[in-house]
Amino acid sequence: MSRILKVVRLQLINKQTFIWVPLIVLGAALAISVLIYAMIPVDTPKYGGGGQAPLWYFFAMGLSALTLTFPFSQAMSVTRREFFLGTMAAAALGALLMAAAFLIGGWIEDATNGWGVNGYVFRIPWLWEAGPLAAGLAFFALAMFFFVIGFTGATIYKRWGAAATTVVGVGSGLVLVGLAFLVTRLEMWGQFWQGVLWLGALGLTLWALVVIAVLMVISYLVLRRAIP
Amino acid sequence: MIDEGRALFLQIAEAIEESILDGSLAEEAQAPSTNELAAFYRINPATAAKGVAMLTEKGVLHKRRGVGMFVSAGARDLLLGERRAAFAERFLDPLLAEARMIGLGPDDLATLLRERAAGAPTEGNPA
Amino acid sequence: MTAVIEVSNLTKQYRDKLALDHVSLSIEPGKIYGLLGRNGAGKTTLMSILTAQNFASSGSVRVFGEEPYENARVLSRVCFVRESQKYPDDATPEHAFRAARLFFPNWSQELADRLVAEFQLPVKRRIKKLSRGQLSAVGVIIGLAARAEITFFDEPYLGLDAVARQIFYDRLIEDYAEQPRTIILSSHLIDEVANLIERVIVIDDGRIILDEETDAVRDRAVTVVGDAAKVDAWAAGHEVLHRETLGRVASVTTLGVLSAAERAEVEAQGLDLAPVSLQQLIVRLTQKAAGTRGTDDAVLAPSTEEVR
Repeated sequence: MSRILKVVRLQLINKQTFIWVPLIVLGAALAISVLIYAMIPVDTPKYGGGGQAPLWYFFAMGLSALTLTFPFSQAMSVTRREFFLGTMAAAALGALLMAAAFLIGGWIEDATNGWGVNGYVFRIPWLWEAGPLAAGLAFFALAMFFFVIGFTGATIYKRWGAAATTVVGVGSGLVLVGLAFLVTRLEMWGQFWQGVLWLGALGLTLWALVVIAVLMVISYLVLRRAIP
Repeated sequence: MIDEGRALFLQIAEAIEESILDGSLAEEAQAPSTNELAAFYRINPATAAKGVAMLTEKGVLHKRRGVGMFVSAGARDLLLGERRAAFAERFLDPLLAEARMIGLGPDDLATLLRERAAGAPTEGNPA
Repeated sequence: MTAVIEVSNLTKQYRDKLALDHVSLSIEPGKIYGLLGRNGAGKTTLMSILTAQNFASSGSVRVFGEEPYENARVLSRVCFVRESQKYPDDATPEHAFRAARLFFPNWSQELADRLVAEFQLPVKRRIKKLSRGQLSAVGVIIGLAARAEITFFDEPYLGLDAVARQIFYDRLIEDYAEQPRTIILSSHLIDEVANLIERVIVIDDGRIILDEETDAVRDRAVTVVGDAAKVDAWAAGHEVLHRETLGRVASVTTLGVLSAAERAEVEAQGLDLAPVSLQQLIVRLTQKAAGTRGTDDAVLAPSTEEVR
C-alpha cells in the first residue's frame, strides 16, 4: 500500500480526531441552535451560524496535525512529502464528511420546515442558490480552508518560531486592512459587493479553493525544512 | 562477576575454561550457546561469540554442524597444561614479591609451604 | 564490509553554537554501537541528521549508500525513537503501535505484546496521561518491535527505573541475538550499557574523541596507586589522564596497556594497580579534551585534583 495512503490511515487511527469530534461539535451546535430557535416566538424563517462551529475545530485539527502528528510521523520514518499529502487527503476526507452532514442536514431542514420551528442552520438560501452540490462544495471548502490555515500557521511556527508567525499573522491582517482601506479610498465598495453577488456562493467557493491551493503550496515548501 | 578493565571476550572464555577445569562442563558435553552466554552475562552476543571463537581456535571447543559448540576431547588436559605453565608467573611471582617486602626468604617460604600443605587436608588442625 | 552509514565532515552550526564539528564516522551493519557523551555533546543532533529529521550545515551523510532526506526507500528501513517523543493528540499506546505496524515492515506484534506485558503498560490509556516511565516504555517498545535494519535509541530509557531499564537491555540483547541488526544506542549512563555495545563512539562538544571496539578500549587505561614519588616516577613514561593526591599517596590514571611483566614490575614496587572502567576512562578522556580546548598549548595537560 502506498505510504501516503498509510499516512491517511495514520490520521484515522484515532477515529475521534477526524471523524467523531467534528460531528459531535456540529451536533451540539445544531441542538443548541434549534433550542434557541424554538424559544424565539417569531414565525418568519430564522437563520443562524451554528453550522460554523465545527469549522473552528478544523482549524484546531490543522494545528495539531502539524504540532503533534508531524513529529510522530517523523518517528515513523515518514517523509515530509508523504506526511503532507496523506494529511491533506485525510483532512479532505473529514471535510467531505462534514459537507455530507451539511447536505443531509439541509435536506432534513427542508423536509421538516426548519426542524419544526422554522429555524435553519444548514439550508441558508444564499448558499444553496446554485444547488445542493454547490452548497456541499462550499462547506467542504470552508472546512478545508480552516484546516489549511491552522496547518500553515503551525508550519510557519514550527520552522521559524513565534516571532515569525506573529509577523506573518499580523502582516496578513495588515494587508487585508490595507486593501479594505484602498477600496474605501477608491470608493469601490459598490463594485466590490456587486462582484460578490455576481460570483455567488459557488464563485466564492471556487476562489476559496484557489486560496486553499496556494496555502497548501506555501505550507509544503515551509514544511520541507521544518524540524520535528 | 564481570571484571572492569579487561576485555569482556577474554573473561567469557575464562569462565568457560573454569567450568571445564572444575568438571562442571564435561568433555564432549555441549557448551552454552552464544545467545545463552549473552543473556546470562548480559553482554553483547558478538562479544560472547568472540570468546567462543577464541576457545575454538585454541582447540578447547569445536563446532558440530547443525547442533552447536561442544567441549573437545582432551580440552581439560590442554587447560591444565596451560595453567601449570602459567602457575609460576601468576602465583609465584606475586608471592615472592610480597615475601621479599615482608622479609621472608625462599627457605622460610618452603617451610611455610610444607606446614600449610600438611595442615590443609584436615580442617582446624593447627600446623 | 560496506558501511550502512557513512558520515563525512558533518558540521551543524546553530546561531550561537557549533553542535557538530567536522564529524566523520562509519557505521558497519549488524553491530550494536554506543554513542556516548555528555548532555549537549551532540548525540541527538547527530542522530537527527542521520534520520533526516534535522539538516546538516555542511558535510555529507549516506545511509544505505543514499542521502536520507525525503528518501522513503532509506527511511523505511530506519527507526529513530527520541527521548521526548511527541504523539498525536489524544492517542493511546495502542494507537501508536498500530501506526508503527503500518510503517515498519519488520514490525513484530508478538514482541510488542510481550514487552507491553513486561513493562506493565496500560495501552488504552491516553499517552498524555501516562507517567514518565510509561511514556518512555512506549518509545522503547516501538524501537524494539519495529526491528528496523538501523535502529537508533536516543536515551529513551531515561524515564525508566532500574528494573525497567534492565528489562530493556535484556530484551535488546535477546532480540538482537535473534535478529541481528544495526543498533545505535546513545547514553550518558555508560557503565550500564558498557557490556552491550560492541563499538563505542564518544562525542564531546560536537567532536568525536573515540571510535573503537569496546573490548580494545576496556583495558586501555590503568590506575596506579601508592607512594607519590614512586607513582610519579612511573607515570613519567606514560600519558597521564588524571592525577589525584591524598597526602603522600598519589593515584594516577594513565593510558596504555600494561604487559604482564610491566604489571609485575609495578606491583614489585609496592604500588597497587586498579582497573579503569569504561565510564571512568571516558570521563577522564572527556575532561582531558575539555582541558585541551581551554588552552592554546600543544601539550595536553591532564586534570589534577588535590584531596585533603
